Amino acid sequence: MTFVPVWGGIIACYLFLAGLGGGAFITASLVKRMHPEATGVVRVGRVIAPIVVIVGLCLLMVDARGGLYNPLRFVFLLTNPGSVMTWGVVILAVFVLAALIVLLMDLIGKNEAPAWLVWVGNVFGILTAAYTGVLLGVVNTFPLWNNALLPVLFIVSALSTGMAAVMLGGLITCPEQVKGMVDLTKVHLVLPAIEIVLFFFLLFIVAHVSTAGAASVAAMVSGGYALAFWVGIMAVGLVIPLVIEIRALRSGDNRGLAIAGDVGVLIGGYLVRYIIIVAALPVVLL
Amino acid sequence: MSEKAITRRSFLAGSAGVATLVAGGFVGFGSWKQAKAAEKTEQPVLATAHSMCNACSSKCGFTAYTIDGKLRKLIGDAENPMCKGKLCARGYGYSQIAYSKDRLTDPLRKNERGEFEAVSWDQAYSEIAEKVASIIGSDGPQAIAAVQDPRPSGKYYTTRFVNALGSANVYTHAAACDLSRASGFLQTIGASTYSSDIVNSKMTMFIGRNYADAIRPSSVAQLQQAHESGARIVIVDPRCNNTIAFADEWVPINPGTDLALILSMAHVLVAKGLYDQEYVKANGVGFDDWAAKLVSYTPTWAERITGISAGIIERLALEFAEAAPAASIEQGWRAAIGSAYRNSGETARAVCLFNTLLGCWNQKGGALFTSTVNSGALDEGRFPKVPKPAVPLLGLDDYPLANPATGSVLQAAKLAKDGAIKGMFFYQSNMAAGYANPAYLAEALGSLDLMVVIDVQMSETAMLADYVLPDTSYLERTEIPEFIDGMVPAVALRDQVIDKVLPNTRPVDQIYGELAEACGVGEYFPFTVEELADAQLRTVGLSLESLREVGTSFFADKAYAYGAVPIWNTPTGKIQFTSDACVKAGLTATPEWLAPSVMPGSDDFRLIGGKQPIHSHTQTTNIEDLMQITKDYDLTRVWMNADRAAQMGISDGDTVQISSSVHSGTVRVKVTERLNPTALWIPSHYGCSSPEQHTAYGVGLRQMDFVPFHIEPAYGSAMTEEVIVTVKKVGA
Amino acid sequence: MARYGMLINTKKCIGCYTCLVACHRQNNLLPTENFIRFEERETGTYPNVGVENIPLQCMHCEDAPCAAVCPTGATYIGPGGVVAVEEGRCIGCKYCMAACPYQVRVVNESTGTVDKCRFCTVTATDGTKTCSCVEACLTGARTFGDLDDPESDVSKAIVELNAKPIAGDLTKAKIFYVR
Repeated sequence: MTFVPVWGGIIACYLFLAGLGGGAFITASLVKRMHPEATGVVRVGRVIAPIVVIVGLCLLMVDARGGLYNPLRFVFLLTNPGSVMTWGVVILAVFVLAALIVLLMDLIGKNEAPAWLVWVGNVFGILTAAYTGVLLGVVNTFPLWNNALLPVLFIVSALSTGMAAVMLGGLITCPEQVKGMVDLTKVHLVLPAIEIVLFFFLLFIVAHVSTAGAASVAAMVSGGYALAFWVGIMAVGLVIPLVIEIRALRSGDNRGLAIAGDVGVLIGGYLVRYIIIVAALPVVLL
Repeated sequence: MSEKAITRRSFLAGSAGVATLVAGGFVGFGSWKQAKAAEKTEQPVLATAHSMCNACSSKCGFTAYTIDGKLRKLIGDAENPMCKGKLCARGYGYSQIAYSKDRLTDPLRKNERGEFEAVSWDQAYSEIAEKVASIIGSDGPQAIAAVQDPRPSGKYYTTRFVNALGSANVYTHAAACDLSRASGFLQTIGASTYSSDIVNSKMTMFIGRNYADAIRPSSVAQLQQAHESGARIVIVDPRCNNTIAFADEWVPINPGTDLALILSMAHVLVAKGLYDQEYVKANGVGFDDWAAKLVSYTPTWAERITGISAGIIERLALEFAEAAPAASIEQGWRAAIGSAYRNSGETARAVCLFNTLLGCWNQKGGALFTSTVNSGALDEGRFPKVPKPAVPLLGLDDYPLANPATGSVLQAAKLAKDGAIKGMFFYQSNMAAGYANPAYLAEALGSLDLMVVIDVQMSETAMLADYVLPDTSYLERTEIPEFIDGMVPAVALRDQVIDKVLPNTRPVDQIYGELAEACGVGEYFPFTVEELADAQLRTVGLSLESLREVGTSFFADKAYAYGAVPIWNTPTGKIQFTSDACVKAGLTATPEWLAPSVMPGSDDFRLIGGKQPIHSHTQTTNIEDLMQITKDYDLTRVWMNADRAAQMGISDGDTVQISSSVHSGTVRVKVTERLNPTALWIPSHYGCSSPEQHTAYGVGLRQMDFVPFHIEPAYGSAMTEEVIVTVKKVGA
Repeated sequence: MARYGMLINTKKCIGCYTCLVACHRQNNLLPTENFIRFEERETGTYPNVGVENIPLQCMHCEDAPCAAVCPTGATYIGPGGVVAVEEGRCIGCKYCMAACPYQVRVVNESTGTVDKCRFCTVTATDGTKTCSCVEACLTGARTFGDLDDPESDVSKAIVELNAKPIAGDLTKAKIFYVR
């Protein structure tokens, strides 16, 4: 019987959006601190953050058909404190709540959101991103997931995609504010570079520790998912955005290229989750 | 329907599991809603009744557990000699046929546009009767024929109906099953089969027989018992089939060359004087002629043909001699001995002669003619005798060695094509897909003036018919008793265990009775199936009621005893090392080496087929439970020897195109070490071409499509493995 | 309280799927709801070959990873150490399926919930004496019983045949294999 992946595109999208939301919120906080004048960009981040996480949670519920048919069962989600998914529900709930309040206060405009609340959002944003990696990481069925590098990769990817989403939104709604955020461009540049390194170590180590790990890595780099891996993740998601950012640092902003780079990061970010979910092969029992 | 009600109280007290089952619904079997409704109204009626499986011809006995007339579960009857308390995957799965959404619901007639339209039973009967009368009027009753895959009522009623019309032409599927075996055995030992006493044997050789994939539970148990008690079990098969679990050795013979192996082992026994000379002298006729022929069949000679080293052949012969008389070549069934090759009939003869050399007939651990009980004569007032048809079974002139009890259905197809047979009835027979080349059979059966098919689903055969009459499923009807040969002969009953599912279906006995009435021969059917069953059982000291109570009943007084010298029911009254009938039929007097009609070269393969343990021919592939396994485990793949695959650059799971002289198709490959390199193995169940079988339609390839239409000379079998195919990797 | 477990002797397994279909029919499962899955392994090279058929199903692990990850508590370790699913709590998130290294949990396509082998002996009734797979096995390759009772058939067989969990100490599995 050939192994059929337990999860697919929907859960990949959920993990992607959750990470992106956390990253977007943190990006907004960074922008607010470093470029307080760029209020448009900050608002983009604060709008994106709760919305994408809520959409992600909806996707999770669509995929969980037992709950979809009987929504009251979602109440039970908090009953096993030992389950990473239970933590995730708590983390995402706190994050969405904090992000929504921050957004509302921002929109109403009377008072600034209190710093502690923004910090709650920042911390739970990181936790949200980390959770998506830990969710997979504690599963010892799949060597590709079951390692400590994966959550780190997911956090970096979350920050990267969150930042790309905010920048993309900024480039569309208030391009003049985005101009001149050279410091952020540098951060934006570093993340894909770190990701490439993390990916290399992840695949190298996973390929060396077990048969199933080696098979999973082979499926990614030379098997059925090779095209998506090399073109989608490595080229479109990491190297091309990296090149675009480097070019921007040297020769100044180009809005079209910047949009293309951010879109590339988002596509790559989704594919990272998707391929890691579907290419993972279970431990060999026999 | 015999019911032993289980009270609501014991049911509730029983367990939460069953309660869950009732409350949670009957998802697998029919309507979940109805089960819910039943729960809401009153107490569910739980009942049990004995019956017999219909997933294959073994007819295992079981107890059906029902709730409100619907099937809940089956448990094999421990007493039943076929199942010994166990059912197989097919048996469990096929029970769903009763609730299949692809069941035939109404009588169908094919209109001018070639489409089926529902008609009333009366209209179908009267139109069929009109055509029957017209055929008999113009061509005589011998232009009417019937084909049935033997089942208790089906066999009785089909035969009675056709004989009542004045025709002797009743055929079975044997030509694609065991015709050569039965016919070859008849020529040699005067019996159409025997039973190897595997459990008590010191050595048993299986030739192309595969207990673990073509399962009869009691046979599996016997094999396992034999293996565990130290019997030497040898599997001669081009494929290392699953029986290897209980075997000591796999002899990976080149397909179609089993005859050479047997002749050569016989050579060793005779040359070394290691055979039972006294027994041969006392029981045989013509031994010296055979011995003279055997001289040239040395193991070295056989090695070149069989691919089995001379050393192994000689060792096997010596092991046989050592083990004799508690040793035998098992009787086989289909495949090599049954119907696969030009030399199948001659192989069957050689098997009997080899066993004779061992002196093993009716010896403990040898080959036995076990006891039989049959129904006695019935009261002719209530069950009128049908006159013997004037013209004997058609086709025996052309295939004179064919077992007259089954005839060669392929010759019947030829006669239909030639216009000698004009009207044919089919009962539970998927001839068009399973017996020989489907294209040829479609053309042959297409020439009939009248083709009537009685079945439960739209088989490929039914698709060709002018009229399709919907049968009840085996769980919905009572049949006449089944008498079972064995160490202690027995009788068992197929009984109605569930409520009729589709209101306009009718059981086979009723259909034939009403057809007879419409055809003007109703006087031969003035009884119900229950009356007939009861009358038959009373001739052996039982009754329908008493058998219903127990399901299976034994005749201990008729138990088999070892040692009796069989009555050799041959023309000479002896075991025939030489046969005049064979000479007359154009064969040699003693079985000599006869090469298969085609042999593969180094670039192609012989296409051989076989069973998987989840399917019975084409009959079960539309069962969702079973077909899901096919899909989950990619069981439509053809098997190819790993070395050959490597030479051709083919990897496991690759798609290949297979082509014979008459057909071509693509399929995935299972690359395996478990197959003789000259063979390509294909499961024989798939390639359903009936769109109304929604689960089975279009899944896999059909073995028979690749096989040209041809008939084994003298014996009349389908020669299903006389076909060479080429293999090409798709996309290479 | 008993601690239920099973022994599967792969040397007796002929790969006939009877246990699977019996499980389907006796427990009224959907055709896709496979509580048992099979691994087949060829050994040796032509013509000296063998085949090993290995049926896998819920191992009723004492440290069941599926129960550990289940966010709703739908999967739990019940009486007798039987790992069970309370369908009314299952949201179908499939986390348990990912966590089970034996890949023997399966989605019920009609309810969207996840199900698995229930060690149905525990609820056997009306003519069924033990787990349907055990009862149906044509070759007696399966033995069910109380692992805590040293006199039970399963305990004795495990000792006699030196049966071991299929994947060492991957989990504390309660199905023991003879290979």
